[in-house]
Amino acid sequence: MLFSKEGLSKIDYALVIAVVLTVFIGILMIYSAGFDPIDKVNNGLYRKQLLWFIFGFILMIGLAIVNYQSLGEFSLHIYVILIILLIITTIFGTPVRNTRAWLNFGVFSIQPSEFMKLGLVIILAKYLEIRERDITRLRELVVPALLTFIPMLIILKQPDFGTAIIFIPILLTMLFVGGADISHLLSIVLIATIAMVVPMVLTYREWIGAEGSNFLLDFFQDVNLLLVVSGVLLLVTLVTFVLHFFSVKKFLRKIYIPGAVISLGLMTSVVIQKLFKVYQKRRILVFLNPDLDPQGSGYNIIQSKIAIGSGGFFGKGFLKGSQSQLGFLPEKSSDFIFSVVAEEWGFFGALVLLALFGFIIFRCVQTAFESKDKFGALLASGIGTILFFHILINIGMAVGIMPVTGLPLCFVSYGGSNLMMSMICIGIMLNIRARKFVY
Amino acid sequence: MLMQSSLRAKLQEAFRLRMYFYMTVTAVAFAALLLQLINLQLIQGKEYKAKARLNMESNVPIPAARGDIYDRNFREGEKNVVIVSNRPSFNITTIPAKFKSKKKLYEILDLLSRLFAINKDEIINEINNGNPWERVVLKEDVEFDTIVKLASHQDRFPNIDWEDASVRVYNFSEMFAHVIGYVGSISKDEYRKLKLEGYKHYQKIGKSGIEKQYDRLLRGRDGYVRRIVDVRQRTEGEEVGQRPIAGENLVLTIDYNIQNTLYEAMKDMKGGAIVLKPATGEILALVSKPDFDPNLIISKNNADVIKQLQKDRERPFLNRVIQSKYPPASTFKLVTAVSALETEKATPEKSYYCPGKFTLKGYKDHDFYDYDVHGTVDLYWAIAKSCSVYFYQLGLLTGPTIIMRYAEDFGLNQKSGIDIPGEVAGFVPSRQWKYKTFGQPWFDGDTVNMAIGQGFLHVTPMGMCEFVSALVNNGIVYQPHVIKEIRTNDNSRVLKTFPRKKIREIPLSPLTLQAVKKGMRMGVMSGTSGRLGYLKVPVAGKTGTAQTRSIRQEKYSQHAWFVGFAPYESPPENAVVTVVLVEYGVAGAASAVPIAEKVYTRLNDLGYFSVAPAAAAQQPEAKKAGAVPGKQVMLPQPQVQPKKNAAAPGVPGQAPQKKPVAVKKTD
Repeated sequence: MLFSKEGLSKIDYALVIAVVLTVFIGILMIYSAGFDPIDKVNNGLYRKQLLWFIFGFILMIGLAIVNYQSLGEFSLHIYVILIILLIITTIFGTPVRNTRAWLNFGVFSIQPSEFMKLGLVIILAKYLEIRERDITRLRELVVPALLTFIPMLIILKQPDFGTAIIFIPILLTMLFVGGADISHLLSIVLIATIAMVVPMVLTYREWIGAEGSNFLLDFFQDVNLLLVVSGVLLLVTLVTFVLHFFSVKKFLRKIYIPGAVISLGLMTSVVIQKLFKVYQKRRILVFLNPDLDPQGSGYNIIQSKIAIGSGGFFGKGFLKGSQSQLGFLPEKSSDFIFSVVAEEWGFFGALVLLALFGFIIFRCVQTAFESKDKFGALLASGIGTILFFHILINIGMAVGIMPVTGLPLCFVSYGGSNLMMSMICIGIMLNIRARKFVY
Repeated sequence: MLMQSSLRAKLQEAFRLRMYFYMTVTAVAFAALLLQLINLQLIQGKEYKAKARLNMESNVPIPAARGDIYDRNFREGEKNVVIVSNRPSFNITTIPAKFKSKKKLYEILDLLSRLFAINKDEIINEINNGNPWERVVLKEDVEFDTIVKLASHQDRFPNIDWEDASVRVYNFSEMFAHVIGYVGSISKDEYRKLKLEGYKHYQKIGKSGIEKQYDRLLRGRDGYVRRIVDVRQRTEGEEVGQRPIAGENLVLTIDYNIQNTLYEAMKDMKGGAIVLKPATGEILALVSKPDFDPNLIISKNNADVIKQLQKDRERPFLNRVIQSKYPPASTFKLVTAVSALETEKATPEKSYYCPGKFTLKGYKDHDFYDYDVHGTVDLYWAIAKSCSVYFYQLGLLTGPTIIMRYAEDFGLNQKSGIDIPGEVAGFVPSRQWKYKTFGQPWFDGDTVNMAIGQGFLHVTPMGMCEFVSALVNNGIVYQPHVIKEIRTNDNSRVLKTFPRKKIREIPLSPLTLQAVKKGMRMGVMSGTSGRLGYLKVPVAGKTGTAQTRSIRQEKYSQHAWFVGFAPYESPPENAVVTVVLVEYGVAGAASAVPIAEKVYTRLNDLGYFSVAPAAAAQQPEAKKAGAVPGKQVMLPQPQVQPKKNAAAPGVPGQAPQKKPVAVKKTD
């Protein structure tokens, strides 16, 4: 049963209306951002976005009709095709600002990495459904991790740091919802944190020329000592683990799990410290804190905050935002479209947009609760995760509480691929909701 | 089955729990975004509104006119000699980022460079190094007709613009080049240093002379038009900002008439000359040759002219009065004489026999020659005839340490502090210096050389001028300066005058001064400066002929000196000191003296020596605008006093040609 009419008859009109409203706010804002107040002309991006929306709407309806369970059956096919597309893009794509993320088809171009996010969610949902009972084991996490790291590494090669980084929260959230052992997840997060924090703190102190030292800093500065300590710790861990293997005593777990976490974290940090060049580490620091580079990404954040702040409660009015109209706001039709909303329509407009997003995310969570099967639930929460992280990171960046990543604001930012992907997401969501009572 | 379903229920329950957690995290994140929005838009909204306003306002400068410069005879409301002024003009400009491609920009630049002789490479270089949205001047100082043509062919010159400009005019071209200096586009280094003082990258700045020294007064303050602009500086609306404030005007101490005379007298020569009133330190004329025409180099269009001038081996930018050092030669004999008399090593009546050479006894005898056989001479005649043999012995008698000390006391190794930038100090050797530099002690031969101003000694003409001033002014030296007063741009008010500033006082006994001056006077009456003897004003002076090793073809070259003052034996308030140096001149008497002759004749004609001493003593600085000494220029007063002139020989004796003094280093 590939197709069925139920999808249409039980469609969730509230969600459709919320999404259509959000996209129309986006198109209005793209019109405003593309307007040149001096030459009184528009760059016409809004028309393209409108076309993408119509196309996306058709796709959405299409996906509402297709049985989402068949998505699970074809999940590996979808995944492999997307990986191949990604590789082709990374090698042959048209470079835009030194990033090969787009496949050019003359009239339009698509960004396969956008669709990869959804592809990953589908295959993870399928895998986690199959492995539902075994997922608490540590080794079951290897396959999801591989599935995530393959596209991530390809995208890092493009290189598109912002898009690549979003795969990690998607993976962790899916694993969490899918039932993975929380201690495993926490351990992974802790290892990654230790591995990143140590070299970053050292690089940061070196960069700003910080004075003074203490016992801990000296310890982290000395790479050899670090290796020896983590090696000893690893040895202790292994010994306790072997002991635990022969005689299962609970307290041993309390030794080898933190031991493994700390030693692996420190070892990875040494590898990062040695492997990455200084400028690469600095780039990550700037990503985390744009103020370190006030001429580059720091400038964008400052302008965005000025745009949002100067909007006040009711905003400056449509086409009247000085920050966006006079061009001080960078990337105003894509990355910083939220700032245009907040400037021209004020706190009121921003609140409406946030409410619409809140409703969409809420619907995703609701669908996950109500889904008749695990696949549907995982798919719904995964889709909710994609949308949620885009919204959080993009708006968070615009208001200055998140690093600059260049992630688009779904449904609102200009960009065909992201809009299509988002509409497909909603299509799948409608599909799951429509079938929640169908057995 | 039951087990299955119970496990299923358990898993379902775990899933629900985790979804609740998921929902909570989502809600918290949304709340955080909302809080930050409230913070930015509602709490800090006002501050951000102000910042947004700052962003979109751009102040477009209206250039201020630089202040005018007048000569010392300036009188308000009359037709004055304007040395430097401005004229309105236009610049052709563009904003590089307006061009769709670099290729298009280069095409237009190509076209313009063919029409206006623009240095294309330099402009491309400037464009590539700057902010593409910043206005770039392609051609400075274009006539109105050209702008009209450009405007009527806008289709052929897209994105090419023009702006008002004010161009500096140096009315006497080269004549004041080394006093006034010139302006030029601000350099990157200058901009970095002066940014905080309000200098802008597009402005002109004084590069040398008065233009540099008093740039802060002359430049005024640019006004601006406040425009609402977008990030690319395109205008959306305009508001009146602030009107430009023109720079302040300067009145020089330099008298155009004397400057002109001195300049004409030195027309084809190389060297420097200065005419100064020792009673105040006011400089009446200052000329350095070779020179340059500032009008030709102020524009950025003429960058290659500047380069060429800078490469010129004759070094036209060098102000030889204050930036070049020469051996003082025989003029230094005056210093030797003063030090001998002051320390009472000799009296003016002390005589030596001059057989035309002097043999220094030592391990190996060495002969020092004179240009003539002078017979028995006392100090007066030794100065008058510039008898070297006399001074060889006087120098040995006095000793080098004392001579050096007096040279230093007279400031020959110091800067005068003249208000023209770039001054260098002269050099007076010392025993330690010689030991450090050559690893040798000070020999008697060095003393002998130094006594007649050769050897290691090097002084600037300015330094010699200060020395003569000290002689004339009873040991007091006032700071030399070229600015008399600063006036408002409409000349209505005097903002600042420059009272004389004592920089040095050397205790000298009247007897010493009298003796040295008498010698100098005798030099004019019947000695090396004989040519000046017939002048109506009694002049006293000393010539000198300096030998230097030259980098040119000749092994030795000569610099001709004349230092002198007039009137002799009158109160110092009236006196005018003249120092002339001619590079590669024949001899002091032949090259430098005729210049001094013309200057003193002109000074006398202008009545500089006819001011009643009492009046001059009362107001030596002429502080009030009306009380300019130039006022007396027009008064048809009979020339006072040439009582000694009558006694001057009817035919001013042709100055004896000096044989090059064989001063060679034995070591």
